[in-house]
Amino acid sequence: MSTFQRHRVTPWVLMAPQLIIVLVFFFWPAITALRQSFYVQDAFGLGETFAGLANFTRVLSSQSYHEALFNTAIFSVSVALGAMAIALLLATMADRVLRASRAYRTLLIWPYAVAPAAAGVLWMFMLDPTLGVLSRALEALGVHWDYRLNGHQAMALVIIAAIWQQMSYNFVFFLAGLQGIPASLLEAATIDGAGPWRRFWTITFPLLSPTSFFLLVMNTIYAFFETFGTIDTTTSGGPGGATRTLVYKLYQDGIVGLDLGGSAAQSVLLMLMVGLLTLVQFRYVERRVQYH
Amino acid sequence: MRYHRPGLDVLAHTILIIGALVFMLPVILAVLASTQTPGALFSGTLPLWFGASGLDHYLTLLSEPVRGIGVPAWQLMLNSLLMALGIAIGKLTIAILAAYALVFFRFPFRRCCFWLIFITLMLPIEVRIVPTYGVVADLGLLNSYPGLVLPLIASATATFLFRQFFMTLPPELMEAARVDGAGPWRFFIDILLPLSKTNIAALFVIMFIYGWNQYLWPLVAMSSADNATLVMSLKRLTISQDGTPPWHLATAMTVLSLLPPVVVIVIMQRWFIKGLVDTEK
Amino acid sequence: MARLELRRLQKRYAGGANVLHDIELSINDGEMIVVVGPSGCGKSTLLRMVAGLESISSGELFIDGDCVNGQEPAERDIAMVFQNYALYPHMSVFDNLAYSLKNRGTPKDEIARRVDETSRLLGIASLLDRKPRQLSGGQRQRVAMGRAVIREPRVFLFDEPLSNLDASLRVQMRQEIRALQQRLNITSLYVTHDQTEAMTMADRLVVMNAGRIEQIGTPMALFRKPATRFVAGFIGSPAMNFLTLAINALPGWLTKVPAETTEPLKGELSVGIRPEHIMLTSSGSGHMDARIELVEPLGSESLVHVRPNGHETRLVVRHAGTELPTAGQLTGLNLQGPFHLFDRHGQRLATRPRLADTTCPMES
Repeated sequence: MSTFQRHRVTPWVLMAPQLIIVLVFFFWPAITALRQSFYVQDAFGLGETFAGLANFTRVLSSQSYHEALFNTAIFSVSVALGAMAIALLLATMADRVLRASRAYRTLLIWPYAVAPAAAGVLWMFMLDPTLGVLSRALEALGVHWDYRLNGHQAMALVIIAAIWQQMSYNFVFFLAGLQGIPASLLEAATIDGAGPWRRFWTITFPLLSPTSFFLLVMNTIYAFFETFGTIDTTTSGGPGGATRTLVYKLYQDGIVGLDLGGSAAQSVLLMLMVGLLTLVQFRYVERRVQYH
Repeated sequence: MRYHRPGLDVLAHTILIIGALVFMLPVILAVLASTQTPGALFSGTLPLWFGASGLDHYLTLLSEPVRGIGVPAWQLMLNSLLMALGIAIGKLTIAILAAYALVFFRFPFRRCCFWLIFITLMLPIEVRIVPTYGVVADLGLLNSYPGLVLPLIASATATFLFRQFFMTLPPELMEAARVDGAGPWRFFIDILLPLSKTNIAALFVIMFIYGWNQYLWPLVAMSSADNATLVMSLKRLTISQDGTPPWHLATAMTVLSLLPPVVVIVIMQRWFIKGLVDTEK
Repeated sequence: MARLELRRLQKRYAGGANVLHDIELSINDGEMIVVVGPSGCGKSTLLRMVAGLESISSGELFIDGDCVNGQEPAERDIAMVFQNYALYPHMSVFDNLAYSLKNRGTPKDEIARRVDETSRLLGIASLLDRKPRQLSGGQRQRVAMGRAVIREPRVFLFDEPLSNLDASLRVQMRQEIRALQQRLNITSLYVTHDQTEAMTMADRLVVMNAGRIEQIGTPMALFRKPATRFVAGFIGSPAMNFLTLAINALPGWLTKVPAETTEPLKGELSVGIRPEHIMLTSSGSGHMDARIELVEPLGSESLVHVRPNGHETRLVVRHAGTELPTAGQLTGLNLQGPFHLFDRHGQRLATRPRLADTTCPMES
């Protein structure tokens, strides 16, 4: 394709704002974090000494980091699977009813617009130990509900709030994916004698796998990072660190606790995890492009 | 022929209606609770209909510096709005310019620029929150509007989407414009911008919602009360010393916080869905 | 109106091979030159170099005696019609036509006058308020033409402008384009891969292959006397038949033989015979026998595909009769001139008539 080749300065003028912002507010902090993760600050924050991998070993061997890692794993897997399963069910149903699917879409996508923090508050109210609608239902069923004291219940609260908020995102993608499946394929399967259940698992579900994989990655990233607000407004990581995820711990250690070296090491570890996820996704996307 | 079983259709509608109701329930309850008098709310009966307070709590929040928040909520809303607009407009502007350069020009280090920008795609601000705080503090931008907005627009999502879109345009369009005597800026303004209208609208919705709902970074960067945003202030009503939060205010505040983005998404649904689904490609 | 001069034009891509080799061509004022060739032969690249959309690696390009190598497309005063029309989708037909004039700062009333004039010339005056997506294929084609015409450029460039149209519209549009070009008398360079389009539209044809010009000439000159085997096979439909023959054993039906040259000919040559110059006859009574493999009736005539005994190649015969032979039958073939002789490299051989009693010159 031909391009504006003769203009040498124009592209740099166009690139400049984005480049400057990315360099100052992305690379500078990222590189600072990388550097700080190898240094230890003295007690007054005046000097620093090179510490090698000491920050990493300290972080990786600490009990609370293990707990946060475990919490993050439970939280992410539950949110991703929960949000995707509900979204797939609803999207399949919405795809079935054709004309009405747009109306249902409107009824189901708006939670995407609700802030994760606000979603937390909504469910906190539903599950308030004294006033909550659901907690009263649970009490009636003989479950003693108080997420402020029970760590498992606190985790359940943030998982539910996150699923509620993230479902709509998945729903949009699954519905678009379903509507992109050629009707002729399903008709061919019907002629071959496959019932609706069989059609779903042998045709629809495999064809949705690229969408599902994409959503798995996006949900994991959502659960890792964007749910900070959900957790902070509802449980503040409690009780007893039961809902403290990696990002929450990073915030507590770095911003509240002012442990620069430790939090930098945690940042780097998180970058590695996300980098790995991204790499997996890129490789996958590349393969998909090649075989289509 | 795939829809010939009426029984399954009834089942589908039933599941969808139940689903929609379940998803609406928390908001319905919050709206109902926000209209109750504190007495009625804390007496323990379920709020099944609008209460006696009507919109009183909303008016209180909007006009008075309620305990725990310290400033009237209209100011928080204004801050949120400015932040969301700043992020949306800022991101779109720098992204469309950069994508234009990347697709329609050949210049040295083009691939290098490409990677510098696209590496930012998957590292959200939460990962680099501590050093970003340090950088913004060093630049003296804490508690300032640029300090709030700039780190949040340092990512490539919008650039990536514009680039994808530009690459789908037939190259002859630009060649025709060149033959017709249009230079790079004229081509950008006369041809590219008008053709990008729907993409701009779609990304605007996504970025506005993203911006409005920011939590951690405003919390870190905006420590003074009159700079706070609505979403980051929710916690000040929910985490209370004596156990039960002032729910009549907390629910009203939550409804205030979710109303603008939800209205935007419902009105601009078509563009929003288009923009969102494009991110997968 | 202008003269166009291409002097040893070359195109190289960085790190790649040459895609165009030493293109020499001069186009007279008001002439319609059609460049034809298979896809990938470099014809579009050549056109885009003339337009200024591709840089010129070496050589010179003159318009009216001025070297325009370094000029932007707009400065060259050319207009181009693209294969996909490249109409601006968000602009009305009026704005599409007016865009280049606006960019040159033409006064508003002058623009209005010229749009009016051009749209009437092309029969699109009633469509001025529409957007491109509301137009049919033929209407879009006309708007694209109008966008080129309105500029009153020195040179028209056409990049396969008809290939997105269906067959009947294509025939109609090619007549319209030709009529318009002759009426406006504007020097034109037209690129296509369709030999019928090329034959019917060109004042002179340029046949290109693998980055080189094979032959330049009027359509009939190229048809009658193709300079290379490639041109012979490319021009004419159905394509010319070729038989490979050993030079030292040329058969009796060949009424022409290679003229004596300083270099003695060895090995094989290929004889080109057009499908209309082969007659079907009863088996055993012709120059050779052949098996009929496929019959394609076209109505007024039929194409009969046959495989001559002792030859690898299949020949196509244009059979005028209404009685159709059947596939599988044995038939005789009568081969009549004119024959076109090409050497192993595909170059046309000079010939002399064969005397009735002589055998092959090589045998003597």
